[in-house]
Amino acid sequence: MSHFKRTGPPLGQSSIRLHEVMKRFAPLFLLILTAAALLYTRQMSAADTDFLIYFENSTLALKSQTVDRVIYLPLQEIVRHMGLAFTDATGLMTFTIQGQNSRLVLTPGSGFISFNDQPVLLQNPIRRDGGQWLVPLDFLSQGLSRVAALEFRYRAGSRRVFAGKVTTTELAMNAQSLGVLTRLTLRAGAAIEVDLQKETAQHRAIVTLKGKAIDPARERLDYKDALVQSVAFDDSDGSPRLVVAIADDVRDIRVSSSEGNRVYFVDFIRELGEAAPAAGPTAVAPAARPANIANAAGGIRVIAIDAGHGGIESGATNSGTLEKDLTLALARRLRTALQSRLSATVVLTRESDVALTNEARAAVANNNQANLFISLHTGYSLEKTASGSSIYVMKGDFTGGVGEPEGGRLFFPWYMAYRISAPASQAMAQQLQQNLKQALPGWKFPIRHAPIGVLASATMPSVAIEIGNFNNDASVKTLADTEFQTKLASAIAAGIEQFAVAHAGGRK
Amino acid sequence: MTAPSIPRHLRFGVITLVIGFVITLGLFVDVVGRIQSMVQQKEPEGNPFTPPAAPLYEQTDPPMTVKLFFPGMQEDLILSGEDQTIRRSAELANRARQILQKLLEGPKTAGLYPSLPKDTKLQEVFIDGMGLAYVDFSSPISANHPGGMLNEQATVYSIVNSLTYNLPEIRQVKILVGGAEKETLAGHCLLLPLGMDLSITNVAPPKDPVDHAD
Repeated sequence: MSHFKRTGPPLGQSSIRLHEVMKRFAPLFLLILTAAALLYTRQMSAADTDFLIYFENSTLALKSQTVDRVIYLPLQEIVRHMGLAFTDATGLMTFTIQGQNSRLVLTPGSGFISFNDQPVLLQNPIRRDGGQWLVPLDFLSQGLSRVAALEFRYRAGSRRVFAGKVTTTELAMNAQSLGVLTRLTLRAGAAIEVDLQKETAQHRAIVTLKGKAIDPARERLDYKDALVQSVAFDDSDGSPRLVVAIADDVRDIRVSSSEGNRVYFVDFIRELGEAAPAAGPTAVAPAARPANIANAAGGIRVIAIDAGHGGIESGATNSGTLEKDLTLALARRLRTALQSRLSATVVLTRESDVALTNEARAAVANNNQANLFISLHTGYSLEKTASGSSIYVMKGDFTGGVGEPEGGRLFFPWYMAYRISAPASQAMAQQLQQNLKQALPGWKFPIRHAPIGVLASATMPSVAIEIGNFNNDASVKTLADTEFQTKLASAIAAGIEQFAVAHAGGRK
Repeated sequence: MTAPSIPRHLRFGVITLVIGFVITLGLFVDVVGRIQSMVQQKEPEGNPFTPPAAPLYEQTDPPMTVKLFFPGMQEDLILSGEDQTIRRSAELANRARQILQKLLEGPKTAGLYPSLPKDTKLQEVFIDGMGLAYVDFSSPISANHPGGMLNEQATVYSIVNSLTYNLPEIRQVKILVGGAEKETLAGHCLLLPLGMDLSITNVAPPKDPVDHAD
């Protein structure tokens, strides 16, 4: 049959059919429209006040309007709040603000405002909309500040203006999944107080922030994982708080502070299933151990463990056994061993088979403010019979004394970050050497120094441990043995614990 | 069905569509072909403009004993020294090239291991006025490396020590891989400008640093 021949009803009938279709689906269309309208109005009402002006003794919440991508604020409300005298001459279409010995006159539709009869040009025109005067943001700093003798500070992109002598507290936030918990880190410019409320029914947690005029670097955090769905800053009613949408799995939320209440950690801890009784820092009972150890090791808050290699980068191989798999297995065992000894959070640089750069590995430790960093690798020696194991510490001076200005440097390139903790790294290596030799008789763990990439930009005491000889089949078999791995992990954990006790405070 | 039963405007429409389709298909095939040829374009093997190799030394140049560093475990030491002879050529870079060539050939002593992975070639040596030698090896130095911190340290410092120990004019060595900078040799050892490190060897520091000055 030809494709060109029309087989359906004549043309006129198809439009009738369209009507029928429309009739049938009309209720559905209506429903969608109503839903959309409802959603829209809800959003409108939710954004009732969306702009804040912080004065010295009060805060003014305003409803801003955006016209041509310019934010406009209602002038009358601001002037009234500030207690300035003004005349709204509807006949003349002017708005006059009286200050002490000064006068500011505005006309709608014009970017020119008159200050004591001198014209001042704004970047955007004044607007008058249904009896309401709308001023662009730069009116505050160009016009209002002159007549009110008050300074206004505004950071592009933010929803708040700070007036006069208001001291602001900058707030930066960051979230990271640490396996069993998600850690929200708040970093404030000055000491703040934090109050936590959990609203289980609404699946959210409210972190109320008490401090002077809090100025967040970002309104919301681009972060989402299994525990934390969203983090948003909200001060629309004048009281700053963080609204964290959380999942049902969150069993416990803990807040801890450091650096004189300038840094807060809000930990969202997952409901622990029966399958994982010993996982997570909450599962350990710090009370069960001697008080002096718990206190002394209190300086070690976070320990970062790096499982060497991963992804396309397999590391050393020996007949199907890959270094990347062994290091990950060992890292997990070490985490369990550490969590049963110390009440510190243990972070792994990778939880799965992924490739990471050396910088990224050190960054995990740096960003989590880890107090210790251990990179795990397996050894490979050209000599089949050699033990192959070593403990590596970043080499102090690898430049051969060249290019080092007298009196040291003012700025270090980032690959020299290790210098901050070089002596502590050496001390940790010695402690680990002692514990490993004790636990594994006959094994040697010489401490070596080399420019190791993964250690270079880690700011905390850090070592890399190379275990076994991948050039030796028997050694690989030993490494793959779970009993050996547990023993090894336990020896490393014991070393870390003793180092933590000896170097209370971690960063040295 | 016969042609006359098809309305005239439909016929034109279909013809236009077919022509349009053919043109689009042609363009698509052309573009795909171009992309494939771009993807499959291979880097030329080696530099086609390499000038004819000049001899590294003259027959009249006097011999010179150099200490090469090769991996060979002795207790906790990583590298062992081995004496070999090169010619003291007039140009510093040529002496460096001879040393690296000997290093590539491997050790003569039993119990020592070659420090460079197989198929590695020396591409270029350049020494700047500040005593920093840039040594460019072909990519197998990285790709064929068995890995491991110990091993990488051995490879890197066999190059660095062999140059800095024997040629005091060279104070630092920067290893390049395949003509480019690389962060690490094979994931572990940073390839920054490195100075001599004899603490991992069985060799004592050179007694007279100006021994080899011309």
